[in-house]
Amino acid sequence: MPQNETIKDLNLDEYKYDFVTEAEPVYRAQKGLSEDVVRQISAHKEEPQWMLDFRLKALEVYGSKPMPTWGGDLADLEEVLDEIYFYVRPQDRMEHSWDDVPEEIKDTFEKLGIPEAERKILAGVGAQYESEMVYHSLREEWEKQGVIFDSIEDGLKNHPELFREHFATIVPTADNKFAAMNSAVWSGGSFVYVPKGVSLDTPLQAYFRVNQERMGQFERTLIIIDEGAQAHYIEGCTAPVYSTESFHSGVIEIVVKKNARFRYTTIQNWSNNMYNLVTQRAIVEEGGHMEWLDGNLGSKLTMKYPSCYLVGEGAHGEILSIAYSGDGQHQDTGGKVVHAAPHTTSSIVSKSISKGHGRSTYRGLCKVYEGAHHARSNVECDALLINDTSRTDTYPYIEIEENDANVGHEASVSKIGEEQLFYLTSRGISEAEAMAMIVRGFIEPIAKELPLEYAVELNRLIELEMEGSVG
Amino acid sequence: MTTTAMKETVGIEGVTEAINEVAVERISLGEPDWLREQRARAWSIYERTPMPTTRLEEWRYTDLRKKLDLDALRLSDSEAAPDDRSAWPERLRATMDEDRDASGHIVLIDGHVVHTDIDPALAQQGVILDSLHDALDLYPERVKKHMGSIVPAEDGKFEALNAALWADGIFLYVPPKVRLDLPIRVTRWLSEPGTAYFSRVLIVADRESQVSYVDEVISDDFDGQTLKSSVVEVVADAGAVVQYVKLQRLGRGAFVQSSQRTLAMRDARIDTLNVGLGASVHRVDLNAKLLGPGANSEMLGLYFGDGDQHFDFNTSQDHIEPNTGSDLLYKGALDGASRSVFRGIIRVLPGAQRTDAYQTNRNLLLSPGARADSLPNLEIEADDVKCSHGATVGQLDAEAKFYLMSRGLSRVQAERLVVLGFLGEVLSKLPLGGVVGKVVGVIEEKLAQHG
Amino acid sequence: MSNAPILRVERLEAKVAEEDLPILTGVDLTIQAGEIHAIMGPNGSGKSTLAKVVAGHPGYEATGGTVSFQGEDLLELDPDERSQAGVFLAFQYPVEIPGVSIANFLRTAVQAHMPEGEEIDIFDFSDMLMDRMALLEMDPVFAERHVNDGFSGGEKKRNEILQMAMLKPKLAVMDETDSGLDIDALKIVANGVNKLVEEDPDMSVLLITHYQRLLDYIKPDFVHVMVDGRIVQSGGPEVALELEAEGYKTYEEAGTA
Repeated sequence: MPQNETIKDLNLDEYKYDFVTEAEPVYRAQKGLSEDVVRQISAHKEEPQWMLDFRLKALEVYGSKPMPTWGGDLADLEEVLDEIYFYVRPQDRMEHSWDDVPEEIKDTFEKLGIPEAERKILAGVGAQYESEMVYHSLREEWEKQGVIFDSIEDGLKNHPELFREHFATIVPTADNKFAAMNSAVWSGGSFVYVPKGVSLDTPLQAYFRVNQERMGQFERTLIIIDEGAQAHYIEGCTAPVYSTESFHSGVIEIVVKKNARFRYTTIQNWSNNMYNLVTQRAIVEEGGHMEWLDGNLGSKLTMKYPSCYLVGEGAHGEILSIAYSGDGQHQDTGGKVVHAAPHTTSSIVSKSISKGHGRSTYRGLCKVYEGAHHARSNVECDALLINDTSRTDTYPYIEIEENDANVGHEASVSKIGEEQLFYLTSRGISEAEAMAMIVRGFIEPIAKELPLEYAVELNRLIELEMEGSVG
Repeated sequence: MTTTAMKETVGIEGVTEAINEVAVERISLGEPDWLREQRARAWSIYERTPMPTTRLEEWRYTDLRKKLDLDALRLSDSEAAPDDRSAWPERLRATMDEDRDASGHIVLIDGHVVHTDIDPALAQQGVILDSLHDALDLYPERVKKHMGSIVPAEDGKFEALNAALWADGIFLYVPPKVRLDLPIRVTRWLSEPGTAYFSRVLIVADRESQVSYVDEVISDDFDGQTLKSSVVEVVADAGAVVQYVKLQRLGRGAFVQSSQRTLAMRDARIDTLNVGLGASVHRVDLNAKLLGPGANSEMLGLYFGDGDQHFDFNTSQDHIEPNTGSDLLYKGALDGASRSVFRGIIRVLPGAQRTDAYQTNRNLLLSPGARADSLPNLEIEADDVKCSHGATVGQLDAEAKFYLMSRGLSRVQAERLVVLGFLGEVLSKLPLGGVVGKVVGVIEEKLAQHG
Repeated sequence: MSNAPILRVERLEAKVAEEDLPILTGVDLTIQAGEIHAIMGPNGSGKSTLAKVVAGHPGYEATGGTVSFQGEDLLELDPDERSQAGVFLAFQYPVEIPGVSIANFLRTAVQAHMPEGEEIDIFDFSDMLMDRMALLEMDPVFAERHVNDGFSGGEKKRNEILQMAMLKPKLAVMDETDSGLDIDALKIVANGVNKLVEEDPDMSVLLITHYQRLLDYIKPDFVHVMVDGRIVQSGGPEVALELEAEGYKTYEEAGTA
């Protein structure tokens, strides 16, 4: 079979979670964004005055900022935003045990293929369904250690001082238009605090799901890893396909204190009508170690650049990024590392796959400020193109103000080589399988960093996408 | 022109007491109608085009509001100097002496061509080397065909300004299958502070011809800002080979802006080398278009900054047809509080399969005050391509320095060797007679001050 | 079908796909089960092209003649189907597949060779892999390395033989397997091939080589000389020795005459 024909037939974009669960929301705000909506959200959440003020101020900032003219195509976004609900709340109170979780939601998890064993581990997991944490409990040993893993709303209620000390300090309202929007209407997300010296072996996990047509999700997560502590947080999202555009705009704020280590893993597999515009940023203090592991497989357009601000001596930041863009998809992703202290180090590894009319863009920044002596940074971007209609772009910004910095950026673009394909097929492996194998090999350096179940899931996804191409 | 028309232009960005419609009218006097129209059209584009700001990606790191004061500039009104070497400035003569080996020379003083010579055997074969004004008189059709169409006024503010106000320039034509063994050498001397110079170069290499062109500009330091704006248009027809070298050794106070575009047709090869050593600000916009299968371009750049020098290289490699190649290597060393910007982009257009495109920018920071920004971009819309890019910013390789010192070299000697080795890679790729020696000489002078 | 030769090539003509230059200009070759054949020839004679056309390389196009494998038209099959039928090509330049471990690759390949509906037993596979690696004097950690990624020339060639040992072909085509190998590596590779032939006396081997050297270690039953895209002489091992003594010159002269 001629190679092109096979590639055309590859069904990488089959959406595997295309189903809808019937769940009637308890409360629904009106469509569109207005001061009324913001006041309603705040009142509904019984927030302190300062938070309402904060939200209203953010709304103003949002209105004053123009739509970004770079990145992806946001031409239709205004219309989308007029049509979505900025707040949906499925039920009035938080669940504390698995039995209390509504059947429909359990059903959703079932369809998502979350394994039985893992659901037990969910004893320490905040699972976000629609706009809020519906299920939330904390493993006992963590509680004893003083770990806080709450919904963001409870974080504000139960730990007001810690909350206020850090909230919106890492991603200020005015940072960008969508951070401002999130600041005005945020709802749901996690609040995590890991005390000094506490080391968590099991990852904290949150499952996300948007299940309401025309509903935006504005999760806000604030994570504080205190001195010498270690943790890993995993966020995975998937959503059903709808005919109209959907919108997701999260803000993730992280503080990694002295000598702490933290990894934040996201696998995003939004349906292909989703605008996914997320601001993720970590401040890393002296000797701290921050890793972003960012997988972008779904959505119509994702603009997301996880950032590490290395503000303490010897801090380290790492960003591992996988992007897959099929027909109609644009992944505009990458990362930022900002070196603002001596002896800081960072690395970015980005792997993207573009198929059909898909477009993958790497957009990154490596900045070394004056005074950040002996900073070292290395960036590697590899793009794999499957079809002649696929597109990839690389826009790395390198800004160096210190002469003893050592900064490098390398990028390459390749297609699946005819020789590679022939080599594998000459060993009896089918063409589709050979392609899946090469793609898996391509992302292996990052996939191997994923927790096993995610790596398996990712491999299954690639397999699935490469299947259907032959008989 | 009426007074009311004048008034309307007041307040338009970039329209000054010296740079205005009257100046365009004045320079057009006696020119053929088509050229007058071209200038007038360019001027109206200039008026309509806003001055680039740092909000534009291409000007992100060079703030013209801080770097260029157009209001303070006047246009050169000097007369052409006599073609009398004894009357030329000492430094110009010294440079000329180094450049004896050539197929032809052009010397310009303050924007005027004062001397032209060409190997009679080549002239016999139809090679044309002339001032742009003379070429317009003698070969109007040849010049008209390309001038202003390769780098049109629409390209931007500076391109429009140059198209409206260019005072003189160079036309080089090489007929089919004619190959020049020695380079064409152009030497420019600038002397008037507070002046804006606008010049153009048009190089047309016909089928399967071959030519090297070295353009060197020198001056002493200026007491006051001087603008040197140039537009360079190069076209290589099928199978032709062109080497274009620009050697910038201006004194402090100079603001250099150069817009260059090369068009390589089927199986043609255009190699360029931009060397930035002098001036206060040196900005290059270089676009290589690969327009026919087999077309190739090697794009080289070298810069050494010290003091508060500012270099800004904005390059693009456009792969339009299948089976084309481009390879860019820009390397720079930065001392003092100097700064460099490299912004490059490889564009592979849909259908441009089997493109080989590479882009590398490497920077050495020699002092704590130096700064380098690098943006090596890729936009790839074809899948069967080999594209890669890389950028590095770092300091002198301490290991290499130590190795050399452990063999008895002084720190200064060791540093000099490492820097020259680093930059030498660029020169070794286009070793045109004389250029390497000159560049190394200047770098050594600069390094001696580094101490 | 059982009486049909393993490989029968008749009047085969071939060229590089997308180019017009013919490379094979009428090759005839018949290989019976259990026979070892060697094709020798100068550079550019077309011997590697023959290997690639037999394996189904997409860069080459058969423009005339036939190739049958146990009586079946081989040219109709995709490369993976040819492999499953029992054709194995040891590459002259094995390809690097970053990120894919040899173990994973081989498991997939062995599975692809199993009859429909049969699942490979992971423990059996593992035992077999270890056994084959021991046969070829390979370190077990080798299995975890990525296919040919960063391998030395010798490691790549040994990896080819390992794959051959795992897939147990009926016909192994070895495309200049000796090139770039030092004498010790050559011995290990040849040794491996000989052991496999010993295990399965019905396995046929087609050695493509420029030099006599390989034939000191793998003894061919038949030697063919290829010049300008055709086989110009066939005979026993003595042909190789004559070539060693006289070189290709006489053939080339004859070919151009």
